[in-house]
Amino acid sequence: MARTDIGPPDYRLMLPETITSNYGKWKYHEILKPGVMKHVSETGDELYTVRAGSPRLVSIDFIRDICDIADKYCDGHLRFTSRFNIELMTPKKENVDGIIGDLKKLGLPIGGIGDCISNIVHTQGWIHCHSAATDASGLVKSIMDELYEYFTEFKLHAKLRIAVACCINMCGAVHCSDLAVVGIHTTPPKVNHEKLASTCEIPSVIASCPTGAIRRHSDKNINSVEVREERCMYCGNCYTVCPSMPLADPDGDGVAIYVGGKVSNSRKPPMFSRLAVPFIPNNPPRWPEVTSILKKIVEVYARDSKKYERLGEWIQRIGWERFFALTNIPFTEQHIDDFTYATETFRATTQFKW
Amino acid sequence: MASINLHGNSYEVDEDGFLQEPDKWTEDVAKAMAEMEGITDLNETHWKVMNYLRDYFKQNGIAPMVRKLTKDTGVNLKEMYELFPQGPANSACKWAGLPKPTGCV
Repeated sequence: MARTDIGPPDYRLMLPETITSNYGKWKYHEILKPGVMKHVSETGDELYTVRAGSPRLVSIDFIRDICDIADKYCDGHLRFTSRFNIELMTPKKENVDGIIGDLKKLGLPIGGIGDCISNIVHTQGWIHCHSAATDASGLVKSIMDELYEYFTEFKLHAKLRIAVACCINMCGAVHCSDLAVVGIHTTPPKVNHEKLASTCEIPSVIASCPTGAIRRHSDKNINSVEVREERCMYCGNCYTVCPSMPLADPDGDGVAIYVGGKVSNSRKPPMFSRLAVPFIPNNPPRWPEVTSILKKIVEVYARDSKKYERLGEWIQRIGWERFFALTNIPFTEQHIDDFTYATETFRATTQFKW
Repeated sequence: MASINLHGNSYEVDEDGFLQEPDKWTEDVAKAMAEMEGITDLNETHWKVMNYLRDYFKQNGIAPMVRKLTKDTGVNLKEMYELFPQGPANSACKWAGLPKPTGCV
């Protein structure tokens, strides 16, 4: 039998020489220009990092291409960031321009460091997932095309994180990103009564529903479940546990846009993102309605925010009514929370702006 | 929907080989499925686990949690993997004719 439980390879075996010899001894770093960083060690060693965007979903040929660049300039070393960017590191300053040139030849944008829009954390979408309400890669490409200049230049007052999740399972970081796009359904599941009992565990299906909309079929002879459609909010949890309750619908599916989340503790504590646009229908391949509204929010935020102010902090300062007024997003009844802890989100004060 | 041929009988299965017609399950089905994963003779403990799974599913409509399964059968998880090559969900439940485990597996 093959050896099991050996874990991942030790990361220390794959570090560049400069990092091994200066591990834990870094003194400071500076951002030289978009996508280029310099770390200086107590020993005086310098390490230059070039960061480039990647589409996350890549071919092996792509990996080999960046390995070639790493061989040429970085003694065969490279790394990926937690937002799927590529980083190539070198102790030699004269290598930086060569790395940038070679990355650009591959069509990769240099940037993503500092006050900018870095890569979009995203999910599987129609590429691979069975419960997707929208696509991920297509949507991400459309958004990054629209916001390209924010990746390669410093045009913001703070970092702006964007994330995409193709259903409300919210794989990734949509619940804690400055801008988030989430795939949502708008139609209840269609129950396949013939197949349900043989493919699903009925008690698990009933327990999976956050609003208690699912119960056993009222006809005792049918071993299946019923959905009370007036209680269903189309989350798709029941489909996750039961393949006989599909709810994907090409016309009903689309995306919601959330704003104002963050994970860092700098200045304000971490925040969840909150609903800005309840529903935009899917419009592949370019999702023009989604990209235009995101661009609008980014532009207003870039103009109106103060230095260091994240999007959520900006909204806290100006208030939600000003946010909706400035971005021209209509406020609808879907914006009003009606789940378990809804009362906490209501306004319990007379303070508001006309 | 695919089907497999076990000892001359045809059964409807999904793409992972889980039985789609639970009523058609027999001990021979379990034996044939085990053979496909390289287990040629099912011993007493195999049957204890599978019978427990079938009884539990019949009574409760769900497959038991792994903790419940190991506690009630006295077969710990390590032994479970020795008996069922792909583990309690993918092998034991499949051979016992239970529905395929779902969720973010």
